[in-house]
Amino acid sequence: MRNKRKEEKEKQIQSTRRLLLIGSGQLLLGAVLVGRLYQLQVAQTAQFQKLSDDNQFNARMIEAPRGRIFDYRGRLLAGNADVFEMNVVPAHVQDLRRLLGKVSQVIPLKKQEIERVISQAESQPNFLQIPIRTGLTQRELSQLSIRSAVLDGIQFDRRYRRIYPQGSLAAHLTGYVSPVTRKEVDQDRRLRRLPNLRTGKIGLEYANEQMLRGKFGVEQVEMNARGKPVRIVDDVLPESGEDLHLSVDMEVQNFVARRLQQGRAELVKTEDPDVQRALMKDKHLLAHLGNGENLILKDEKGRYIPPESGAAILMDVQTGDIRAMVSQPGYDPNLFTDRLSVKDWERLNAHPRNPLLNRVISGLYSPGSTFKMVVLAAALEAGIVSSSSKYFCSGFMEFGDRNFYCWNKDGHGSMDGRLALERSCDVYFYEVALKTGIDRIHNMAQRLGLGILSNLDIPGEKVGIMPNRAWKQAARGAPWTPGETAIAGIGQGFVLTTPLQLAVMTARLANGKEAVEPRILKTEGETPKFAPLDVSPSIIRELQRGMRSVTNGSLGTARRYDLPGIGMSGKTGTVQVKRITEAQREAGITDNIDRPWKERDHALFVGYAPVKNPKFAAAVVVEHGGSGSSMAAPIARDILDFALQREFI
Amino acid sequence: MNLMRKLWAVPWLMLVCVGLLVLVGALALYSASEGSWSPWAERHIMRAAVGFLAIVIIASIPLRYLYSLSYLGLVGAIGLLVVLQVIGVGSGATRWIVIGGFNFQPSEPAKIAVVMALARYLSEIPNDRITHFISYIPAFIMLALPFTLVLIQPDLGTSLMLLIAGVSVIIAAGLPKRWIAGGIVITLASIPIIWSQLYDYQKARIFTFLNPGSDQQGAGYQIIQSKIALGSGGIFGKGFLMGSQSQLNYLPEKQTDFVFTMIGEEFGLVGNLSVLAIYFVILTGINLVALRTHHRFGRLVCVGISMVLFSYVFVNIAMVTGLLPVVGAPLPLISYGGTAMLSMFVAFGVVVNIAINARTERID
Repeated sequence: MRNKRKEEKEKQIQSTRRLLLIGSGQLLLGAVLVGRLYQLQVAQTAQFQKLSDDNQFNARMIEAPRGRIFDYRGRLLAGNADVFEMNVVPAHVQDLRRLLGKVSQVIPLKKQEIERVISQAESQPNFLQIPIRTGLTQRELSQLSIRSAVLDGIQFDRRYRRIYPQGSLAAHLTGYVSPVTRKEVDQDRRLRRLPNLRTGKIGLEYANEQMLRGKFGVEQVEMNARGKPVRIVDDVLPESGEDLHLSVDMEVQNFVARRLQQGRAELVKTEDPDVQRALMKDKHLLAHLGNGENLILKDEKGRYIPPESGAAILMDVQTGDIRAMVSQPGYDPNLFTDRLSVKDWERLNAHPRNPLLNRVISGLYSPGSTFKMVVLAAALEAGIVSSSSKYFCSGFMEFGDRNFYCWNKDGHGSMDGRLALERSCDVYFYEVALKTGIDRIHNMAQRLGLGILSNLDIPGEKVGIMPNRAWKQAARGAPWTPGETAIAGIGQGFVLTTPLQLAVMTARLANGKEAVEPRILKTEGETPKFAPLDVSPSIIRELQRGMRSVTNGSLGTARRYDLPGIGMSGKTGTVQVKRITEAQREAGITDNIDRPWKERDHALFVGYAPVKNPKFAAAVVVEHGGSGSSMAAPIARDILDFALQREFI
Repeated sequence: MNLMRKLWAVPWLMLVCVGLLVLVGALALYSASEGSWSPWAERHIMRAAVGFLAIVIIASIPLRYLYSLSYLGLVGAIGLLVVLQVIGVGSGATRWIVIGGFNFQPSEPAKIAVVMALARYLSEIPNDRITHFISYIPAFIMLALPFTLVLIQPDLGTSLMLLIAGVSVIIAAGLPKRWIAGGIVITLASIPIIWSQLYDYQKARIFTFLNPGSDQQGAGYQIIQSKIALGSGGIFGKGFLMGSQSQLNYLPEKQTDFVFTMIGEEFGLVGNLSVLAIYFVILTGINLVALRTHHRFGRLVCVGISMVLFSYVFVNIAMVTGLLPVVGAPLPLISYGGTAMLSMFVAFGVVVNIAINARTERID
């Protein structure tokens, strides 16, 4: 027993000895590691620092020339200009402030430019390049290169600067590029090494960023101790981005933009002393100038007014090709290429009509009476009315405890579908909408392209609202009421559409067979195949008959603006922005021109031409333009006329 | 009272140091992704949180359960390694099983399983037979099976670490000195045979290790860049997020195998030695638990775990400083990698459990 315990004790001692042995083995090997670290990090550190320096400075990323954007006929919308820029890598520089001082002696740098470089140098690793000045002139470049011997650490690089030769005219199409944002760097760390890169932020520049950007190159440069490139060791060439070719024709685009801006007023020269005086007095008017436009109009009462704002689209009813896509006011995309200046930012913000909003895809408007085709189509399809069904318009409809007024308070008398479209009788559509029901109207609207996103793939496109019972319950938490159906029947109330959707609807009505989709990229040769429209030909015929009467019927709302010879079909829309009270209605204050601009009705027109074998569909929205018939219809007629003449020359 | 005594026995300093290493790891991973919590640093911390939970759970299981489950654990680990041969994935070598989107590396838990199974077997050898070599043959078989399975993945580095840990446990159990000496002779004699069995890439690695300048763009490149990064870090380093070697991607695998290099570049010798010091405290903590433990099972498990941790740390640092060929070993608790990290936490849980039950004389 004793023996056994002794044995146990010996075992314990032996085991402890072994444990200590293993522990000391660990310690010994640990000491080897410490010795190795000392060797690398203390004894040989100078040698490794030199090697590390060689590494840091010799790999440079090179951006590729960005793909260009061209219009239908090969005109340049977005291109690249060669610029020279001056950069500094702080790691090469002993005293950054002194160096910038030396640069200033050759080309004056502003105090804030110097501070920006210095604060950037303090906030990021010193081996990253910082731009000092971009867009050096030839003269500045030669002056600087002469002194380059005393400007150690300064590098000159050739770069491409994005230019938009069309200015504000194509701004909403192309969008713009601007310096890389923090968020983009987080997603792609390589961008940090391209401090001068520009990326698309909106429009086609954004939607096609990867394609336009191309592939970066890498250049291995051997540098001397002062950070001057000695020779290029090895490089991967950058690959240019792909060009985009658009279906848009800039000449048509230009005409549409000017025509939309002019509205029904008279163009005046801003240099006119009279105009100058008016501008001095009217700060509001002045704020409209300077975003790349210099246009002032004189209205029929002799007042100076800013150019009209709104949207206009022209698209091919067979191929869906968009020939013009205008949103007014525009802006100059060149402003964004380098950091947007505070002054320009303030000016854009001070503009009373939000020039950065692309109204074509992001502007939401009640379609007003342009929606009546949808209602009639839904009613015809459901068998609620036939082409000969008639309703009587006495100027208003009594419904519940409320009167629904027609725009014509004297009443239209007995109306069938064609006449109701021709004269835009509201009472007819109140009645028909109530009988058809919102869900059927909703269904037809979506088939015609309203309340759904297009496949254009331009960022920022809005879907609008095409209400039905389910939508109301979900969005407002309340059941749908019949009164709302009546209001929707004349395209007001909840209904909101984009001008692009209205153009698509019109193109589909004109085409009659296919659910045409808009397309902005030019495709060679083959005509695209779209899904069938799935609306019966007899209904399409009835709608087209009604739209034809709008311009050639005896009391058509746009009877003065038909296209001679080939004819134009369409529909006017006048959308109330401010509710008219009974009292105002009694007093007869409904004349737009006497109201403040903000309270005037939106003017809409959708139409297509020629009447036989339609080629183009147009949608025009003039914000607070007064009325569809007097403002939007003539614009639509003129732009259709221009585009057709151009197409068939 | 009982609970108080148990809490008192927990090696708190060791656990605090484990937490410190996790934080060092999170900072290094933040820097490795050029100043961003995603994708590595945040997941690293989340895994550590899971790991600490695992420690608590494993520490509260009665020790005899761990004891009786240890053979089953080895069988399970070997089973997983066999499964890996069938369905595994990996670049060039089959090392992972993908389970529900996670890459699971069976060789990591295998180390712990081997250590525990060996400890159980060796602690059961009666005293009068402890000097007989024949008693050790089953232990060598228990080690040889998983070792071979990891070796043929092929993962030379991990298999050698497994071998080191296993042999340490056997030596600690009392393998007679003459057998230890004999083992060394046999190992040296078999080097030519092993060499002939190596894959070409493994040979290439060893050649490159012996002469890094010969292959500047391939495997030698990694080690040269790693030495440049460490060396240029100097005593105090280049500063957090300022390591040009790491930030400009000269350094490969900086979130996994070369994380120590990145710490060295940005925090210098001071940073590297601090990390080493923390490992030293943890290893000492485990070794002390071993010394204080009365039962042989606990002692041997602690020795094994201590050697598993040590071999990771040593191989990794020796590798990135150019003392050993690049074999692919993470730096425990700092490198990004879920299986290795969670396996370590499980091991710490076992150590804490043994520390709490140090005075038990018999487990079974």
